[in-house]
Amino acid sequence: MGTLGRAIYTVGFWIRETGQALDRLGCRLQGNYYFHEQLSRHRTLMNIVDKAPVVDKDAFVAPSASIIGHVQVGRGSSIWYGCVLRGDVNSVIVGSGTNIQDNSLVHVAKSNLNGKVLPTTIGNNVTVGHSAVLHGCTVEDEAFVGTGATLLDGVVVEKHGMVAAGSLVRQNTRIPSGEVWGGNPAKFLRKLTDEEISVISQSATNYSNLARVHAAENSKPFDEIEFKKVISKKFAQRDEEYDSMLGVVRETPPEFPLPDDIKDPKVSQK
Amino acid sequence: MAALSRITRKAMTTTISPVHVIQRALSTSAAATTATEGAKTITPSADRVKWDYRGQRKIIPLGQWLPKVAVDAYVAPNVVLAGQVTVWDGASVWAGSVLRGDLNKITVGFCSNVQERCVIHAAWSSPTGLPAETSIERFVTVGAYSLLRSCTIEPECIIGQHSILMEGSLVETHSILEAGSVVPPGRRIPNGELWAGNPARFVRTLTHEETTEIPKLAVAINDLSKSHFSEFLPYSTVYLEVEKFKKNLGISI
Repeated sequence: MGTLGRAIYTVGFWIRETGQALDRLGCRLQGNYYFHEQLSRHRTLMNIVDKAPVVDKDAFVAPSASIIGHVQVGRGSSIWYGCVLRGDVNSVIVGSGTNIQDNSLVHVAKSNLNGKVLPTTIGNNVTVGHSAVLHGCTVEDEAFVGTGATLLDGVVVEKHGMVAAGSLVRQNTRIPSGEVWGGNPAKFLRKLTDEEISVISQSATNYSNLARVHAAENSKPFDEIEFKKVISKKFAQRDEEYDSMLGVVRETPPEFPLPDDIKDPKVSQK
Repeated sequence: MAALSRITRKAMTTTISPVHVIQRALSTSAAATTATEGAKTITPSADRVKWDYRGQRKIIPLGQWLPKVAVDAYVAPNVVLAGQVTVWDGASVWAGSVLRGDLNKITVGFCSNVQERCVIHAAWSSPTGLPAETSIERFVTVGAYSLLRSCTIEPECIIGQHSILMEGSLVETHSILEAGSVVPPGRRIPNGELWAGNPARFVRTLTHEETTEIPKLAVAINDLSKSHFSEFLPYSTVYLEVEKFKKNLGISI
């Protein structure tokens, strides 16, 4: 760059230095209460001594999730935001195509009052709802654990079993295939219809597709994120209320095209 | 992405690969054959980032949807807003919440608050005729650890802590849901009543004094959120740490 460009760059640099000096002065004035910003130390995949998580390359793990210790996550599975899969004293095995939704907790125990505890095994194509708590249990393929459910030690949810939302499944309960159990403590509610069973499998597939969209978004490097911000500002749709306050009428904005994967499942099947 | 993996690989000790060998050897000796078979079918990617110094992004745009946060709304840095989420003025979303508007819209209305560790999601379609978006209208207090899915909460309600509202439920104006209540799909909590339990059942109607307290609670939490909001500088100085960090690892900025 020419001398003028270089001069402006240097002036900019001086201004930044001044700003940082002022920031340091402000910190000193704040004294003991000053907050020192640090880089995020959150470790998505963390190993405990020699137990390291093994996560398939096609699995989506949200950055704010914590996968600690002896955990295996299979192909096409998704671990959503804020989950904690803690395999520190025993192992956690998550199959393929399973989704562990936001803020869930999958935990194992080494032993409980009754004796040794099996590792937590979650089969293939299982849907574990938001904020579920799974502690030392076995969930077989294509089961459905509802939102906010708590599954205690030794629980076995058989294939196509469903745990209703908010239920507390006590220790060593076995939820047979094709039944809905719920409540606190969990009791048999009703049997699942065939249609509902197919909905469960379909929801697992939908979630895998959704996970791919999130995975793509979360793994963007810094430059791409900034570029996208600029682009979206440029093409931003004006707020309708704002426009009506100004008395401006714009032509109706086009419908946002959804990526194919997360379209209405019934539509995409046709 | 490659730069990140470089950073993480450099920052980590090189004892990871022998660790995997140890782990597999340990599992075979414990006769957990299923574990080893499972391990064989999992193909981990060498590029998977185990630690990202950026942490989790707060606002995650999906496709063309960008979550919108009003200028005076407090959204904790822990929170994840993804997809079609709008947080209106005076609202607050507290630590650890996840508002995932990837299938449908989520709105947090004026002066409402979504407290700690809530998960708000919207299904694709709802069993009732109501729109499948999750809309939290004005002056609503959603208690900590609640799970909301495709529900409509009309103005001036209180949702107790750890409550679960399933698809298509409607909580009408001036009602209170006690802590720990589970509202099954498609249920309606009528105007001015107190409901509790799993599944939620009618307890009693609210007195007029209690009804006037509801928006006061929302405003009080709004006040509280302002003090939390003021703790954060408008621009973060963490870029200095990033520059120091990169200099340590010898990566040019």
